[in-house]
Amino acid sequence: MAGRKVLILSLLFSFLLSSWAEEPFRVFTTSTGQAFSGKLISYEGQTFYLKGKDNKLYPVQFKQLSANDQKYLIKVAQSGTVPKGDPRLLKKDTPENEPSPTPSGDPTPDKNAPVKEEIVVKPLTKPKPKLRAGSFFAYKPVNLGQDPSLAVENTVSAIPGPDEPVDFTNHVLPILDERCFSCHNAPYEKNGRTIHPKAGLRLDTHEWVMKGNLDNTVVEAGNLEDSYLYEVITLDEEDDMFMPPKGGALTTEQIDIIKRWIVEGAKASAGGGEAISSDMSKGVSFHQHIFPLIEERCLDCHSEPYVKNGRTIHPKAGLRLDTYEAIIEGNLDGTIIEKGNAEESTLYAVITLDSDDPEIMPPKGDPLTEDEINMFKQWITEGAKENPTDTFAKPKEENVAMAPIDGNNEESIVEKLAKRLKAPSKPQMAAAQKSGALVTLLSMRHSMVRAEFSSGPNLIKDDAIGALSTIKNNISHLDLSRTSITDSVLGEVKKFNNLTWLNLKNTSVTDRGVENLSKMPYLTYLNLVSSKVSDNSVATLSSLKSLEEIYLWNSEVTKNGIERLRKALPDTKISF
Amino acid sequence: MKSDITKLDELNRREFITSAAKACLGVGLLPMAGSYIHNNVNALEPGSRPATARYVIYLNMSGAMSHLDTFGTNPDAPDIQGPTKSIATSADGVFLSENLPETARHMHNSAIIKTMVTSQGAHEQASYLMHTSYLKRGTIAHPTFGSWVSKLSGNINTTIPSNVQIGANPAGAGFLESKYGPLPIGNPSAGLANSKIADYLDETRFGGRLAMAQKMNASYLNQYDQKQVRAYSDLYKDAIKLMRSEDLKAFDITQEPEQMHELYGKSNFGQGCLLARRLVENQVRYVEISRGGWDTHDNNFEAVANNCADIDKALSGLLLDLEMRGLLKETMVVLTSEFGRTPKINPRDGRDHWPYGFTAFLAGGGIKGGTVYGKMDKVGRNPAEGKFIDPASLNATIAHAMGLPLNDVQYSPSGRPFTVAHDGKPLFDVLA
Repeated sequence: MAGRKVLILSLLFSFLLSSWAEEPFRVFTTSTGQAFSGKLISYEGQTFYLKGKDNKLYPVQFKQLSANDQKYLIKVAQSGTVPKGDPRLLKKDTPENEPSPTPSGDPTPDKNAPVKEEIVVKPLTKPKPKLRAGSFFAYKPVNLGQDPSLAVENTVSAIPGPDEPVDFTNHVLPILDERCFSCHNAPYEKNGRTIHPKAGLRLDTHEWVMKGNLDNTVVEAGNLEDSYLYEVITLDEEDDMFMPPKGGALTTEQIDIIKRWIVEGAKASAGGGEAISSDMSKGVSFHQHIFPLIEERCLDCHSEPYVKNGRTIHPKAGLRLDTYEAIIEGNLDGTIIEKGNAEESTLYAVITLDSDDPEIMPPKGDPLTEDEINMFKQWITEGAKENPTDTFAKPKEENVAMAPIDGNNEESIVEKLAKRLKAPSKPQMAAAQKSGALVTLLSMRHSMVRAEFSSGPNLIKDDAIGALSTIKNNISHLDLSRTSITDSVLGEVKKFNNLTWLNLKNTSVTDRGVENLSKMPYLTYLNLVSSKVSDNSVATLSSLKSLEEIYLWNSEVTKNGIERLRKALPDTKISF
Repeated sequence: MKSDITKLDELNRREFITSAAKACLGVGLLPMAGSYIHNNVNALEPGSRPATARYVIYLNMSGAMSHLDTFGTNPDAPDIQGPTKSIATSADGVFLSENLPETARHMHNSAIIKTMVTSQGAHEQASYLMHTSYLKRGTIAHPTFGSWVSKLSGNINTTIPSNVQIGANPAGAGFLESKYGPLPIGNPSAGLANSKIADYLDETRFGGRLAMAQKMNASYLNQYDQKQVRAYSDLYKDAIKLMRSEDLKAFDITQEPEQMHELYGKSNFGQGCLLARRLVENQVRYVEISRGGWDTHDNNFEAVANNCADIDKALSGLLLDLEMRGLLKETMVVLTSEFGRTPKINPRDGRDHWPYGFTAFLAGGGIKGGTVYGKMDKVGRNPAEGKFIDPASLNATIAHAMGLPLNDVQYSPSGRPFTVAHDGKPLFDVLA
């Protein structure tokens, strides 16, 4: 009896509410001639939310409707009788408005509404295809080499018992793996490009799930209302934000697992997930942690001077942040970093100002997040070193993903060498240029250098190469072909320890010169075409085990010499 | 029609003088003229990845080569294939037309893109798009790809231009400084025309004339000591430097032994390829050779077979010679045309214009040997495998291999931004 009273009261209440807040049912027609009977609940922008007789929400675009309906909608919108916004979000604010879960609560307001003949458009929700019992696809796939019984066990444990606490790795992760990973996984390389997760959101580990993306966190432990992840999977399937966007909604069991996991505190598995790569417990690394952030947020204004439309653009406030040295140096006003003292450091001060302070940095975009600010603080407190003293912090995974070269994941010798060295400075490059060679970095911010001498006869003297000695460790490619250099130049070249590519084509280099090359550990390409090198060099060349290709056509090496060389260097391509 | 075809191949005297003056003397755009000497190298910005190719030899099959009868055969579709047979090559599973037996032996160093597409179906516009990555517009002259290469990669050899065009000349340096434009060579056997002191002038008289010119200029130079004015006298110096330079020998293929001439074939195209190899040895970054005679609306199969006899010999000779000298590792050889020809054979036994699914052949430096990208469907209209690749992406692929910065922006005089390969994306599938 008491239950019935409550029911009647709630009916009456909702009827009263709806009588002034809701529009009556009417028949809407689309411009393509379909008709649909429903009532207007709310609108947002060009989208109008209609409630059908089946009590489901139908978002309809203004443009799809007939001119008559458009007039009606404009009139209603102007009169302000319907609220603005997505009704599912509005519901949260006014829970009383929600229809009670019992079926008898639904159709009450209809009774007064004018009911016309209805040609209901097909419900917008598609039934989820159910697999027939015994269907091939209903079976759990077992990977090659995996024990089938283990795989079956996993399926069983993927659903926690009613009293069992939800475990992230065993229960939640498989759901994310199945339905979310195709878009929200770690960045990976495809066709030479790095594919980043959609919306910058990764769901592949517990840490990443809890971290969320740049917009916000997606999971608030214990708080279902504020957990965006839970919200998007429980939205109406037609909503733009509904997740997953492909393949239909999660099953109710899956939603329930995620719900329980959040309510239970969104904990990681007892074993502990993998430590997140941006872990700074081992010290903040300038290159791994600080510089990527500076690059993203500061370098638009605080970069080195560059020329744009014929004008030189200088960094703002005369402050450059594009290298470690520049950051430590500061600008004319003084240093911006007091090593070991974050509070005294101008850099720290300007990023921690109030967000409405005119002096706050960065001036555009959102202020730095608390984590990012803490990272700076920790870095400065630790002495603002270029590398942390104890160990290199594990590099960010994003950085690792950018490293491979054009699908060839095997790192070449040049790349390995480059990692050990610092790129030459601008003055060093300018000095090297005086040799008369074209001296360029292998690629942007690469630390290895290519030096190519002009083939102009008599232009290059032996001593020209001396100008390269200041960057001798950085030179990986040296082209001396068709120059008038002599053997003595190779006495200088042998000091270029990291040389991988040497072209001596069409020079007067002889066996005496080649002797100098015997101690070159990384030489992979050697061109001696049309040089004076003879069989006497075979012994020296045989010792160059790193050689991948050697060209000896039109030199004085004989067939016999080539045979000996082939035996000594079986994997090397020998062109003769 | 015939006169048009021959015109594609040859430069007339007036065109030649105009472009030669632009390239060698910088007459085209005075304010931008400058010396060849790489004094501005500090401004050179390398690309995002190390270069795998340093030089490009671009073989332009002008008039639109029939892709189905050369590099893009489709043995699965006999209806469109006509009488042309496919043959195996040195790369497993890669087939070429029977017209290219010698080139087939170099397929392990080469790659083919079989799904090229262009938006232009007329020779001039399509060729412009292939060469510049931009659509032809009335309001602007875009630089050719070679001019971009010359601008962005830096000149090693300081006496000769780094961009040379043998045969027809589709476009020039556009809004870039004219020194980056192609130096035109009409007849490869004749070398660089007008680059020697005239017979009737001896050294002393030539020197006397120069001195007199300088004397007459002196007061003007003193009065207007400006960058632009100085640049003009630099041009004189450069021209004289080239005139007396030993590097002029790079243009002289008569210095090659007879068997080299025979290796490439004695045709104009073959000798052009030989010259291209000499130029690359002298560190010319970009050499383009044009070969016409591909507009086979009539009698396609016979004409293509005849043309192929020529290009097969020249191309295979070029690849062999480069390999022998260790140059193939750093030189990319590209062979393509402005579009392809119809899969359907017309009643005159010819093929007409077809912008879908034509081919680009790439070999040597930076190329993943033995690869074929994409496959066309049985009617030759849409890709059955892979995606369509547009001219900008082909140019981006080449530029990427050369280590050029794809995002380097150069501004036209009106301040509009342009990049080397427009919106093209490198096709990593064919890159090593």
